Amino acid sequence: MAASATHSRLAWIGLAPFLIFVAAFEILPVLTLLRSSVTGEHGLTLGNFGRAMTPAMLTAFSNSLQLALATAIGGTVFGTIVAYAIATSSSTTARHALTALANVTANFGGAPLAFAFVITLGSTGFVTLLLSYLGIHLYPDFRIYSITGLGIAYLYFQMPLAILLVMPALLALRPEWREAAAILGATTVQYWMRVGLPILAPAMLASFFLLFANAFGAYATAWTLTGSNVNLVPVQIAALVRGEVILDPALADALAVLSLFVMGGCLAAYQHFARRMRRTK
Amino acid sequence: MSAGLPTWRAPVIGGFVAFMTVPVVATALFSLATRWDRTLWPEGFTLAWWARVTSRSAFTDTLLNSFWVAAISVLVSLAIVVPAAYLAHTRLPRAKPWLELFSIVPFSLPGVVLALGLIRLYSKLPLPLVNTPNILIAAYVIVALPFMYRAVMTTLESVDTRLLIEAAQSLGAGPLQIFGWVIVPNIAVGIVNGSLLVFSAVFAEFVLANLLIGTRLKTFPIYLVEFTRSDARQASALALMSFIIAWVISLAILWTATKPRKPQKGGSHG
Repeated sequence: MAASATHSRLAWIGLAPFLIFVAAFEILPVLTLLRSSVTGEHGLTLGNFGRAMTPAMLTAFSNSLQLALATAIGGTVFGTIVAYAIATSSSTTARHALTALANVTANFGGAPLAFAFVITLGSTGFVTLLLSYLGIHLYPDFRIYSITGLGIAYLYFQMPLAILLVMPALLALRPEWREAAAILGATTVQYWMRVGLPILAPAMLASFFLLFANAFGAYATAWTLTGSNVNLVPVQIAALVRGEVILDPALADALAVLSLFVMGGCLAAYQHFARRMRRTK
Repeated sequence: MSAGLPTWRAPVIGGFVAFMTVPVVATALFSLATRWDRTLWPEGFTLAWWARVTSRSAFTDTLLNSFWVAAISVLVSLAIVVPAAYLAHTRLPRAKPWLELFSIVPFSLPGVVLALGLIRLYSKLPLPLVNTPNILIAAYVIVALPFMYRAVMTTLESVDTRLLIEAAQSLGAGPLQIFGWVIVPNIAVGIVNGSLLVFSAVFAEFVLANLLIGTRLKTFPIYLVEFTRSDARQASALALMSFIIAWVISLAILWTATKPRKPQKGGSHG
């Protein structure tokens, strides 16, 4: 017993570098922000959050939430439809190639992606020119540098991510169930409402929450594409970090903590549904 | 059912493939076009933009900076994650849920928030951290923690560590020998996979590099963003290079992740 206790003490020492590193660069920075966000001149206060809610910040939150919501719904819905098309495709090569495509593109983002979309959908972009030849003039009503344009660019990484998340659940959807439903007289709509979607629901919800967090925290794509033209939460926080705005540390910290709550909530929900997904499989 | 429904599948997959490839192909063509802003097809082709952008010394410098920052982040990540995951898995089951938690938290840390927290915490301390590559690498190791931890832990869980340890002990190996010569080679797939994921995430990272050290150490993504504001042609060549680097690494990850493993013995772990 004594020997094993010494061993386990040694094992804890082996764990120390990891724990110290995580404490120093992950836990303490977050705790610093949490503490500072609820600290005022006279001790504990929630006043910082109140002060943080200026009209500009409220717009930033509203824009960020809308962008995250739209691209999470769009990404999950389109992603599920594409994933279903891939999963039921009869060609194995096509299935592998398309899954690889989703894998490769799910992590794209940032400056190169933003720039590729300027070249594609900018005012003299390829697709813009192509459409104008066909008599459809995107500009000036649409601009890639707007929040709508940003949403389209986000879908570029949101959709493949949804495909990867929903694919395992789709593969678990057995063709026999559909046949059984058909034999019992169910229509396609009835099959999807009663059988298909309830089975897919945990995976789709997991995908929705992960995509929501993914879009809510994204900064590089937004900044490259729109600079500070589109008012988003990460853009506001970055401006405060750079000191572009008169520096009010507690204000920036309150904003950061609010976005941490949004992100944390989404990830907790994602974990919950991902676990349910594994159970039902 | 495969014969009956090709009608809806083709446009769905076609639309998806077009959406995913057109921006990349357009970027490639743009970087090779003499002029392409009034005609449907580029007016002519040239290698001038590529030649110009790659001949700059800043190009090689930023590429090398990004390479080194990514490589060091991978090494630090391996050094802290692999032993911790191994010990938690084999010896300290009580620590495992905590490790899981710490490795998930970075997913909910937007780059801007992590940067803000690090600056708040360390700007007043007399440590060689803020405004140096050290803090950037530390931040990268945290951001990449979920990838490295998952990759290593999944592989550890698929290997019968207890059997390996007992076999090595019966041959007289000490704990460090077991770790270095028995465990590490057996989880090499996870280590390679995790390293590639970390490398690829760090190589393309912009937010932390921009906010934590700004222009003091210019990485490739920062260089690219500067170009998008000055010279679109050369920026498109750089963007295409980023795409190609990301693709190559992603395909390598797919290849290592799907490579058939040695047959495993089922069984629980202690």
